Amino acid sequence: MTHWSHPRVAAGLVLAAWAGLFWFLLASGRTMLYLSARTAWLIPCGAVIVTIAAIGRLASARVADPEPLGRRETWSLGVVVLPVVIMLALPPVTLGAYAVGRRSSFSAATLGASARIVSGPIDFVDIAASQTTKEGQAALRARAGEVVTLEGFVTIEAGDGPDEFRLTRFIITCCVADATIAQVRVVGAPPGSVVSDGWVSVTGRLYPLGNDVLIAANGTPREIPVPDNPYLTP
Amino acid sequence: MAVGVDPRATTSGASPTSGSGRSGIAVVSMLVCAAVLARFADPVRIGWLRNLLVVFGSLLVESTPFIMLGAAVSAAIEVFVPSSAFEKIGRLHPALQMPAAAAAGVAFPVCECGSVPVARRLAAKGLAPSAAVTFMLAAPIVNPVVVASTFVAYRGRSDLWVMVIGRFTLGFIVAMAVGWVVGRVRAGEFLRARDVDTEAHEVRQDEPRWARFFGHLTGDVVFMARFLILGAAIAAAVQTFVPQSIVDRVASLPVLSLVAMMALAFLMSLCSESDAFVAASFVSFGPAAQLAFLVAGPMVDTKLSALYVGTYERGFLRVVILAVGATTLVATMWVQVVFG
Repeated sequence: MTHWSHPRVAAGLVLAAWAGLFWFLLASGRTMLYLSARTAWLIPCGAVIVTIAAIGRLASARVADPEPLGRRETWSLGVVVLPVVIMLALPPVTLGAYAVGRRSSFSAATLGASARIVSGPIDFVDIAASQTTKEGQAALRARAGEVVTLEGFVTIEAGDGPDEFRLTRFIITCCVADATIAQVRVVGAPPGSVVSDGWVSVTGRLYPLGNDVLIAANGTPREIPVPDNPYLTP
Repeated sequence: MAVGVDPRATTSGASPTSGSGRSGIAVVSMLVCAAVLARFADPVRIGWLRNLLVVFGSLLVESTPFIMLGAAVSAAIEVFVPSSAFEKIGRLHPALQMPAAAAAGVAFPVCECGSVPVARRLAAKGLAPSAAVTFMLAAPIVNPVVVASTFVAYRGRSDLWVMVIGRFTLGFIVAMAVGWVVGRVRAGEFLRARDVDTEAHEVRQDEPRWARFFGHLTGDVVFMARFLILGAAIAAAVQTFVPQSIVDRVASLPVLSLVAMMALAFLMSLCSESDAFVAASFVSFGPAAQLAFLVAGPMVDTKLSALYVGTYERGFLRVVILAVGATTLVATMWVQVVFG
């Protein structure tokens, strides 16, 4: 005669909660809020592994002489499931203007004078890379005056004029913890047309000025929703 | 077979189930409160809290599959590999065990979180503490995935091979040096004892192998997860409140730059498979300082510290921090002398 072991069932349910979180991230498309395109495969792998572990534990949860679930063990399991509850309850959220002041700038010497900077469409990764090598800087300088469109979120720094702001994207390699920043200075935007942390699309002429890249905005920046993939991967 | 009974419940006169029942209600209430606050109090409008929650979640989501993998390997070792296999290795001279353990890391392509449960299990099965620690510290650096990621991060730079070969070699040497220092303790004084009742719940020796496998797997995951969560919370807080720009001020100072980069690696708690890309972004620091970041970080950081405290006896963390710091500093000073 066997009975359910409460500690084993509880541990199985905690694993099931973690499996649920991984499946939720996968189904809701929120993977990219935490991981880069390079490491997104961890979510389906994690979902499968944790699900198997949960099923295995629950399948072996019936024993001849079940033990009670101790108070300390109950609290331990509660602590382990707490992050799952918080992450499931939170709305979709990304790093914002607060994190900009605490991060390093992105640097990728290998992208310094890539084909995209020389002739292709320019994005934040190219601009940031051009700011760290002479070849990249020269390639971008050759395209000064071209009209580009960039999407990012707004940060406003002390000393920025009323028609100025910084357009920023985070670049991540594995997860948000390794985020670095890529940034351009936008000038000529109508005063009051943007708010800090708001996502906008800016079209304007590009002017590299040493390590700074300046965009002279053509008209009012257009508000956009937070993209599905808010972080860039080099 | 010991049956676990909550001693506090019995001594207070209440039945064990009533004590755990009250705890269960309290835990569920805590979880419900957390869910309601996270959903309706709109915590993400506060900049620092939003930053903290995103980094915390990201560290956990990235680390958990590796912890699972490490725990699965650990459980497989416990259930399917006979103790006699490790006793034979354990009889080898430590001078042979440590290089062999470091070399074994080449075949274990996971980051630092996954190597901790495996090392714990190896030590519990009879491998010398020096060899277990050498494996644990070397595996996250010398495995092929990390070598490849370091290569990609530095590709196109003049110091590519200094970084790739330097990281592999220094990782090997520092892991063995720390293993030698830690190996002076006896095996019985090495691992932190787990709760007897918890161990009894997880596994019974009369169960089939598959049930024992899942018992050990679940036990290791739940045990490690508490410390991983604590470490991730501390690392996220550090990333939220400490600006990275403060270390830039010491970039040109010979020894301080090495110490600063090790300290930064400790605080940031990056995965060893991604840290090369971050190290490469510190262009104001020379290759020696970047190597200090890449060698010390996967061996000891905020997240790992919590895992070490939960896994090993008191004093282990202090010894590892000092040994990793000292040997990495000496090794990278030589690199600084030779390569600048």
